[in-house]
Amino acid sequence: MDFPTIISLTETDLDLNSMLAQITLPTTGATAIFTGVVRGQTTRGDYHATDYLEYEAFQPMAETKMRQIADEIRQKWPTIEGILIVQRTGRLYPGAPSTVIACSSAHRDTGVFEAARYGIDRLKEIVPVWKKEIGSLGEQWIEGKYHPKPGE
Amino acid sequence: MHTVKILFFATLRDYVGSKSVELEIPEGTTIGGLKDMLATTYPRLEKVKESMMAAINREYAAETQVIPLAAEIAFFPPVSGG
Repeated sequence: MDFPTIISLTETDLDLNSMLAQITLPTTGATAIFTGVVRGQTTRGDYHATDYLEYEAFQPMAETKMRQIADEIRQKWPTIEGILIVQRTGRLYPGAPSTVIACSSAHRDTGVFEAARYGIDRLKEIVPVWKKEIGSLGEQWIEGKYHPKPGE
Repeated sequence: MHTVKILFFATLRDYVGSKSVELEIPEGTTIGGLKDMLATTYPRLEKVKESMMAAINREYAAETQVIPLAAEIAFFPPVSGG
């Protein structure tokens, strides 16, 4: 059976139900869905409020890297059935889901949680997407810390 | 000499003031060499030269990598998606 791999960068609102349906097969008994959400108030570190985020992507490379992450997940957890990796772009307000990583499998104990966790961690390392935060601290680009190796 | 297309994203696009430029570069130019050339034209890049990520034809590239003919180069800060 071909397992679905859904990769997308989109400016439209995320519909979690339809996403779930895309990775649910007749053999599926478990799904893990991670969503990143635009945080309106940050309390870790110095408190600040966020009015909105502007997401920008290097779309063709981002799609390639998202597909690479799905391949890495399948290598590590061959029991995973469907994989969905979606990133919002454009302007997003607090409370909005900004990214979805969803994995499905036959049973909950075959790595489905770990696979989704791995997916979001890798997305934040290698997928060329950036966000600009507009809020109580003014306007600033957020920068990550990870430096991918050549070819990674 | 050959022409490369260079894309800039996020902070770097703000520093350069443009999404993309085309540049004539000598054959054998490395990513590190291109960064130096760009920092001469766009002085604001000088302080971020070390932390700038580089991609050649949409794949992460090393400082020492030689830029192939007709390449598409992208420079950007460490990613912050999610």
